[in-house]
Amino acid sequence: MHVIAGNLFAIGDAQGDIEADPRAPVGLFAYDTRFLSHWVLRIDGERVNALSRDDLTYFETRFFLVPGAASHYVDADVSIIRHRSVHDCFHENITVLNHSSQPAEYTVRVEMASDFTDVVEVGQLRRRAVDVTADSTNQQLVLRYQRDRFVRETTVRSTFPAEVDEQGMTFRVRIAPDGVWETDLHVSVTMGGEDGRDLRADLRPHQQTVRTGMREDLVRWLDRAPRLVAERRGLEELYQSTLTDLAALRYRPLSYRERVPIGGLPWAMGLCGRDALITCLQTMAFTPELAPATLRMLALMQGGQLDDALDEEPGKILAQLRYGETGAFSDRASALYYGAADTTPLFVVLLDEYERWSGDADLIRELRHPARMALDWIDEYGDLTGDGYLGYQRRNERDGAINQCWKDSPDAIVDARGRQPAFPRATCELQGYAYDAKRRGARLAREFWGDPAYADRLEREAEALKDRFNRDFWLPHREYYALALDPYGEPVDALASNMGHLLWSGIVADDRAEAVAEHLVGPRLFSGWGVRTFAEGQRTYNPVGTHLGAVWPSDNALIAAGLRRYRLDEQAARIAGGIFDMAQTIGSSAPGVIAGYDRALTTYPVQLTTSCRPQAWSSGGMLMLLGTMLGLRPTGDNLLVNPAVPEGFGRLELLDIPGRWGHSDAYARDRTTERRHRLR
Amino acid sequence: MGATVEQYLGQLDTSRRPDLPETTTGTLRLDVRDDGSTDHWYLTVADQQVRVTRSADDAELVVRADREVFDRMARGELHPGAGLLRNELTVQGNMRLLMLLRRIFAGPDGARHPRELGRAALVGQGATTARDERR
Repeated sequence: MHVIAGNLFAIGDAQGDIEADPRAPVGLFAYDTRFLSHWVLRIDGERVNALSRDDLTYFETRFFLVPGAASHYVDADVSIIRHRSVHDCFHENITVLNHSSQPAEYTVRVEMASDFTDVVEVGQLRRRAVDVTADSTNQQLVLRYQRDRFVRETTVRSTFPAEVDEQGMTFRVRIAPDGVWETDLHVSVTMGGEDGRDLRADLRPHQQTVRTGMREDLVRWLDRAPRLVAERRGLEELYQSTLTDLAALRYRPLSYRERVPIGGLPWAMGLCGRDALITCLQTMAFTPELAPATLRMLALMQGGQLDDALDEEPGKILAQLRYGETGAFSDRASALYYGAADTTPLFVVLLDEYERWSGDADLIRELRHPARMALDWIDEYGDLTGDGYLGYQRRNERDGAINQCWKDSPDAIVDARGRQPAFPRATCELQGYAYDAKRRGARLAREFWGDPAYADRLEREAEALKDRFNRDFWLPHREYYALALDPYGEPVDALASNMGHLLWSGIVADDRAEAVAEHLVGPRLFSGWGVRTFAEGQRTYNPVGTHLGAVWPSDNALIAAGLRRYRLDEQAARIAGGIFDMAQTIGSSAPGVIAGYDRALTTYPVQLTTSCRPQAWSSGGMLMLLGTMLGLRPTGDNLLVNPAVPEGFGRLELLDIPGRWGHSDAYARDRTTERRHRLR
Repeated sequence: MGATVEQYLGQLDTSRRPDLPETTTGTLRLDVRDDGSTDHWYLTVADQQVRVTRSADDAELVVRADREVFDRMARGELHPGAGLLRNELTVQGNMRLLMLLRRIFAGPDGARHPRELGRAALVGQGATTARDERR
């Protein structure tokens, strides 16, 4: 059970209790640090049991509880309501109701503790010396951890007088017949700044109050998004919960006023450059406000120096920003980390795409310098061997990312026989992103930066890259693109989903698109729910391997969009249909990844425990698939609608799509309903 | 290098710096603490140039830290963002200007250009490669 507000979130059990578990991220987390690892309610010494729960919004939950375990209710004369919410802090209202006709006395106790674990360390707990100050006079308990000047502090305050000890707070209460007692517990989290003041208190953007009406904020967020009217049952609900997930997965970075998407719950509650960029690209027709905030934030954090520890180079776009202790002290990967080969071209792709939808020319001019630095980075730092391909090799050999593309697990890039190529590696989809970035950069240079000579140069480079790529990566006997090239120009011959991204970027030669599409929806890659990351029948194929067989909705969304770009509508509809079937079968939030088992074998999508749910680019992927079915594309000042809807969807209407045209509507129906209508 | 923040700022190149965005302007004050006394350095950023003076005037961003912390930042050993998260420096005002320090100061000594790794890989071809080892 979780409540989220940006990167502050609480995960507990069905009763609302929190007990640290080495296998799962349970607790109250903020800025990548666990501020509460233990939070257990007892009444007269008994644990409580939930009768029901009411998830009011993503940041607010109410638990209805009685004392005792489910098997033996101790006392039906008393019940408890626990009302929990989060914004920049954590609130819990505890209400005890005496249902008997006699006055009653209860001892209500909340056990409290924190281990200040960094979220990346959950699973291998390290004991930290935590100072505890029990202060009954002020009804507060302070838990504090300090390392050098790094301070994290949890303060619990109660509105009702409490006996405070080092393990929690006790309330001895007397409640009248049919009476009610309540207290508010307020938990604030502090990141130490000067003189113990919170770091955030000194930062202007954060003073612009975080907590102004989150409810109204959610209503307005949903109002600004287009409205979906769908004949297919459950689709409108899925759409609504997807938008709500995206609202929950926004946070304000320390240095910043606007909100940007975070990766996902629970493992990636910070800014991930790649996830944020892809999410923005996916949600352009629905929640375009994410894009300018993300672009500005990433421009601000753009690499400025060569630094081996951070894998940083001038012009490179951030891979990750984390606030936890291990990051700050570089115990593990550092707080700022730049080890990603795709974020920099995708930054340019997003900038151009955003202008096409919004018409916001000012932003293009404002971000000219970072965009130009990003384009320069591709050739100056991204091409390691001088072969003209964008590749990667980490310089931080202790804890830098081994694979610096979206398939970032250490063993993700292998050939069909399971052998890992040497470094530097140039995966195929990176070449597509670089090609797309150059073409889009050319448009920006010509139309907004007044630099036609630079535009010509970028276009020439893009065309040369496309020719070279189609020569060196194409495997003529197998009729697909190699997953990667090693530094000596040898192709890594695995059949993988990456080439779907090539369609999305437009680098595929027209006469090869159909062959690529047939592989993508063929039995080795297509599971029935979606395209597997890695095709069956290869040595390291593993249906539960994150990037070696599992299916990602986000990956599939880009692939389906790519197929439509090449007018392969039937294949695109198959993928969109499969992913929607999967999401609707699971219900509510689409998972980040599911196993690659054949749909016919399991009939139910199998979720992976390592998966984030909700996850920003997975929620974004669902929206992108919807936009792809409708065939939404800005052309000049108009929105073009060119539907290709999978069977079983019936009628679809997406109303008030925001953009440079103001608001526009899209209408579509699947082919079976079209036939039905003709027959009438 | 081993420069101190004083040496670094005292000799700072005040000509045009193409790595600074032309649209960024602002003032930063660096309060360098040293055993009870504080030195103030005042940086004015405009038109891709940085002007350095000694002044305790108000600035859009004030950065405070011990001398030793500023020295490490000036040598590129400490990223200002990491320093902030470690609470080794404190800031007040417009945080967006903090990241400029990464570009105004030097990068760390001994950092490699990614091409050095690429060249090393090509030189290593023919010798045992990771790929051959797995065969």
